Amino acid sequence: MRGVAEEATAAMVLQQSESNSTPDHGRALAKEAEASARPGINQDLAAGLFLMALAALAGWQASHLTAGSLRQIGPGLLPGALAVLTGLSGLALVLRSRGQQNGVPLGRWGVRGPVFVLGAAVFFGLTIRSLGLVVAGPGVVLIAVLASPERRWREALIFALSMTLFCVVLFKLLLQLPIPLLPILIGF
Amino acid sequence: MAALIDNLVLGFSTALSFQNLLLCFLGCLIGTLIGVLPGVGPIATIAMLLPLTFSVDSTGAIIMLAGIYYGAQYGGSTSAILVNIPGETTSVVTLLDGHQMARQGRAGVALGTAAIASFIAGTIATLVIAALGLPLSQLALLFGPADYFSLMVVGLACSVVLARGSLLKAVAMVLTGLLLSTVGTDLDTGVERLTFGLPELADGIDFAVLAMGLFGFAEILKNLAEPEQTDVVRGVIGRLLPSRADFKQALGPILRGTGLGALLGILPGNGAVLGPFAAYAVEKKLAKDPSRFGRGAIEGVAGPEAANNAGAQTAFIPLLTLGIPPNAVMALMVGAMTIHGIIPGPQVITKSPELFWGMVASMWLGNLMLLVLNLPLVGIWVRLLKVPYRLMFPSILLFCCIGVYSISNSPANVLFTALFGLVGYVLYKLGFEPAPLLIGFVLGRLFEEKLRQALTLSRGNFMVFLERPVSASLLVVALVVFAVALVPNLKKKREQLAS
Repeated sequence: MRGVAEEATAAMVLQQSESNSTPDHGRALAKEAEASARPGINQDLAAGLFLMALAALAGWQASHLTAGSLRQIGPGLLPGALAVLTGLSGLALVLRSRGQQNGVPLGRWGVRGPVFVLGAAVFFGLTIRSLGLVVAGPGVVLIAVLASPERRWREALIFALSMTLFCVVLFKLLLQLPIPLLPILIGF
Repeated sequence: MAALIDNLVLGFSTALSFQNLLLCFLGCLIGTLIGVLPGVGPIATIAMLLPLTFSVDSTGAIIMLAGIYYGAQYGGSTSAILVNIPGETTSVVTLLDGHQMARQGRAGVALGTAAIASFIAGTIATLVIAALGLPLSQLALLFGPADYFSLMVVGLACSVVLARGSLLKAVAMVLTGLLLSTVGTDLDTGVERLTFGLPELADGIDFAVLAMGLFGFAEILKNLAEPEQTDVVRGVIGRLLPSRADFKQALGPILRGTGLGALLGILPGNGAVLGPFAAYAVEKKLAKDPSRFGRGAIEGVAGPEAANNAGAQTAFIPLLTLGIPPNAVMALMVGAMTIHGIIPGPQVITKSPELFWGMVASMWLGNLMLLVLNLPLVGIWVRLLKVPYRLMFPSILLFCCIGVYSISNSPANVLFTALFGLVGYVLYKLGFEPAPLLIGFVLGRLFEEKLRQALTLSRGNFMVFLERPVSASLLVVALVVFAVALVPNLKKKREQLAS
């Protein structure tokens, strides 16, 4: 498994040295790249680095596992090998991007969508057990609405409540799925 | 032949029970309802509606899911024709001429042609499944671990070649998918792998969670980041039934499309997606006046729609006979079947014949229902398409959350789905196609299991894959598939398709 570990660290070092220029700053950089058309971070470079980071993560996790032999393959062989191969394909993408004169720019990364849409799902996950669908349902809709550029609060509120009512009737009453409704008040 | 008829009789007597008929109907209706929503493809639809089937017995549940699947497929074409947005990748082709027809005031005829083409294709494909089911599953029983392994290599190679855009990126996605499939407890040794010490990951990543994140959530993020110009057809839908002349023009393309789609659908590695593209290309080649294509040619709707539906249906063949899901939708079916205690594979047909044949019969019934159901309901779908996206996506999100939570009553699954939604968005922004990842993930566990079995049997000798004739020829097929993709001309075409 040494090979995996080496690959992992190599990928990690590379990732660190370039990490200033991936997702967080991607948006600003992409704008810059578009403006001056200089060969900065293009899509392939970022994609390669992403794969290498992923491979490093998997390689680090797999490094604790035994690889075994071909006759008796251990739990670590395939994850390790796949991590190496993923890392190598990432490396190939990075190398390819170096040769590109004008690769595809990274483009704009909307932040609002991911934050509120995924935030709404996370809210659901965190509250469904303790507070139940009566809270999580409207919560999801009201948080998700923030992701859209147009906001109409009255409409959103009415919509959130009616959607929740619809879901309670459909999933709880008709289909009888074991979803908590409002555990703190009514106990289920 | 007599056996086939006996089997079909058994199938229809199962499918025609009141409960199963109702479930098939509900599945088709709800499937279409959700599938019509722009940006919600069959994968997200099925993952979302999976919990609906939990309280039903296994045969009923599979029949309902199959109905949901066809409904979602059909709904995708409806939104492709009426709005300029494909509900799913395979509807991209329908959109070219279908939407043009709609803009010329022939929306009804386009929808009618699509429905009739789908029905004819579905009928023929059902017969293909019925005819091939038994012999193929008997063949599958002769497959050893090495043969299975090589078959999966073919599937992976196909999924790489069929992905759009860069070949290297598709390979990377397959590898990532395989890597993700190794997360969880190792079946042979009981060791936890790549779990980061999280108990929630001990059972591995749930396929529905991954699919919902990569396709459901990421799709919402994509739509919000780049609001597409929705162009709902205003005004008249017009007559629904194609005229005699229309039908005469469409019949050839329907039959050719069915043939192509049925054939490609059987291929492991998402061959079904190729069907509509191939059918469109063939019709354009055969047409006396190819310039009509892209301007509302009825053949451009009929051929691809038939291919789409035939492929959607024959994709069940590798799943039910070999136990190998050829695409992401079928992988979801595996998940659904496992929940109901059925392990898809060659045993299904012998162990629970009423399930297998009932499903085959319900496929045809489902297609019939879609034909009868959808044409009168077109008005409702149009109204549904006019719901603004700012209200649509929070509801889709809420349904997704409830669906994912209900699969195993696990709040952690909802959190993981959100994580994969983020991953899906990043992959999209980095120009990766998620489909090969999903195939890699789907085949991953079986891939490793068969690899280990084969090598244990051969005492660590890799030659076993070349010594067995079936395995060796499958590996040659995989190699050829790869080689074809590297032919410069085709490579260029693939890259053009991406842009």
